[in-house]
Amino acid sequence: MFSRSTMLMAAIVAPAIAAATPSFAQDGGEVSIMHYFTGALGLEVLQEIFNEFQEKSGVAIKESPIGHEDFKSGILVRAAGHNLPDVFSYWAGARTQFVIDHDSLRPIDDMWAANGLDNVIAKSVADGATVYNGKHYLVPFNYHYAGMFYNTKVMADAGITEMPKTWDEFLAMCETLNSKGVTPIALGSKNRWPAQFWFDYLVLRTAGTEYRAKLMDGSASYNDPEVQKAMGLWKELVDKGYFVANANADDWTDAGDKVARGDAAMTLMGTWITGYWNGIDLKPEADYNFFEFPQITEGLPNAVVGPVDGFVISANAANPEGAEKFLNFVVSDTDIQTKWASSRGALSANTGIDPSIYTPVMQKAAKAVADADAFVFNYDLSTPPPVAEVGLSMFSRFMDDPSKVDAILDQAAEDAKKAFTE
Amino acid sequence: MERETGVWRLVFLALPLGVFTVLVIWPLASSFYYSFTNWNGFSDNFEFVGFLNFKKLWTDKLFFNAAVNTAIWMVAAVLIPTLLGLGLALLIDSRIPGGSVFKSIFYFPICLSAVVVGQIWIWIYQPDWGLLNVAIGAVTNTSPDFAWLAKPDTALGSVIAAWCWQHTGLAMVIYLAGLTSIPEDLLEVCEIEGASTWQRLRVVIIPLLTPATVVVVALNVINSLKGFEILYIMTGGGPFNSSDTLAMHMYNESFKKYLMGYGSAISVVLFIVALTIIGIYFRELKKVDEIYG
Repeated sequence: MFSRSTMLMAAIVAPAIAAATPSFAQDGGEVSIMHYFTGALGLEVLQEIFNEFQEKSGVAIKESPIGHEDFKSGILVRAAGHNLPDVFSYWAGARTQFVIDHDSLRPIDDMWAANGLDNVIAKSVADGATVYNGKHYLVPFNYHYAGMFYNTKVMADAGITEMPKTWDEFLAMCETLNSKGVTPIALGSKNRWPAQFWFDYLVLRTAGTEYRAKLMDGSASYNDPEVQKAMGLWKELVDKGYFVANANADDWTDAGDKVARGDAAMTLMGTWITGYWNGIDLKPEADYNFFEFPQITEGLPNAVVGPVDGFVISANAANPEGAEKFLNFVVSDTDIQTKWASSRGALSANTGIDPSIYTPVMQKAAKAVADADAFVFNYDLSTPPPVAEVGLSMFSRFMDDPSKVDAILDQAAEDAKKAFTE
Repeated sequence: MERETGVWRLVFLALPLGVFTVLVIWPLASSFYYSFTNWNGFSDNFEFVGFLNFKKLWTDKLFFNAAVNTAIWMVAAVLIPTLLGLGLALLIDSRIPGGSVFKSIFYFPICLSAVVVGQIWIWIYQPDWGLLNVAIGAVTNTSPDFAWLAKPDTALGSVIAAWCWQHTGLAMVIYLAGLTSIPEDLLEVCEIEGASTWQRLRVVIIPLLTPATVVVVALNVINSLKGFEILYIMTGGGPFNSSDTLAMHMYNESFKKYLMGYGSAISVVLFIVALTIIGIYFRELKKVDEIYG
């Protein structure tokens, strides 16, 4: 007979064990995963992906989703407590480099070679996003592309049928829009980062990828003539009244709303804006479309800008085999990649993906990336985090008062120099 | 027997003390420890850098900016709700019509969380359709589009206004309670002796409200020291750090720049400031206690 206290213990312990044990039959152990895909759509689809992985691999997943901004500090807290999950989502580029430089990630070269990932992942994305210090560390779960997203009807009403390819054509288009009483460009730089795409493209289109790489690694300075020229072009746009007033008061979704409503014609944003617009019932092509950031200086490589979301394995992962299985699964399985990319307004780095899964606008974006000479990460993923803070503040300071551009650049040059040594 | 009680005290205190140690003392000690290192939050490898982080504070413009803003914040967040609360309490106590309705209305914001208050005021300050610009436009017959939270000159002040809106009600209610304890006959004497309203207020009411003031100021000091959320929500320290406070600056340095050692040094400074303020406050409180019992 059980005593009353044993019964009580059993009553407490049994459900706890049941809760701790995943419902799938396990032989591959458990992999803990922390990620920032928390939005209603992302999380739901991701959980389906997790379930499929558990069924197919026999590896159990213990996930902890956490919002984008909180993730940035949350992952640090876990690293500080020597408690990093086996796998976590991370932004490819300077942030991943930063973690690798502090010995917190595990290389995945063997897994990469064993699964032939070189043939699976698009080279344009793979080169920059997956290899650090000569080794593979990250698999790209999806990526985005930043382009000039516009309201189709507003453009048509203003009589604009051809989208600009050159800077002069772009200026002429802005002038036409302005004369029709439509603010050409919406920007919501309250949280600073949306302004970075302007800086990225203006520098890339006037000074090229090599100069930009130097600026990002600290061997060039923010008050160089190259940066001054790029900022000068930006200032001209603001001075002519092509930007909405009070950009610093708006979020990127506010800017998206202004374009959607027709208060402004276009906004320079990542492809995630298509997910946002589809969510408020705008139709690709009929209601919105995009064009590539126009060419400014002839002869420079056509670089495109965007972020890559990836998964990485922590150096002290308790179950590295299970973790590698997971990384391979989420990037190699075309069904999974199809499901994920089509649900989120994101692009897949898997070359086996049938482009017809995308909306027509996303197909165009995928082509823009495929045809580009280079794919580079947006500003805050290209330069070390302390320096990115300097630049991001510089952009919003500039949007507040462009007339001070020279002083702002001198200040940024000084601050960035300091930040590079920190 | 005595000894046994002592042991039991320890036993009962062990749990709360343990929780306090784990959640307060340990992190506090860790902050002090890390403030002498160049730890970046990720790496196991870090070095002791002595007072380097503290030396850096002297040359960090953003730190000075944040320190000045913190001083403005502390003074405004304590003074304004206290004075407004007193004013409202006196008005409502003078039995103006609808007093009790106003009492509830003014008290209501304190029931809201900082997130809700922050969002309400973000809408009020919205440049194109926010209540404030629309109201100014209606009065002046113009169409202003001033971005209150996005301009460096007005961002901090605008957040302080939102904060005061939320915290005035609490001060008012405490003062109203204090006013009921002022003896009627004293006020009658004032009337008989022909004291002016100002004299009555200055010589009788305000001194007799001292215990209430002590409570109000204490709550406002404690709340303002904790006032991180509303700033984080409304401006995030922006635009370009113009509304940063020390807490905000510490967060940015630690979690956005990965300078955990330097962030810890800022938190140590913040801790010393808070400790000093609370120390002064307790000393003054003791004096008040001696007078009023």
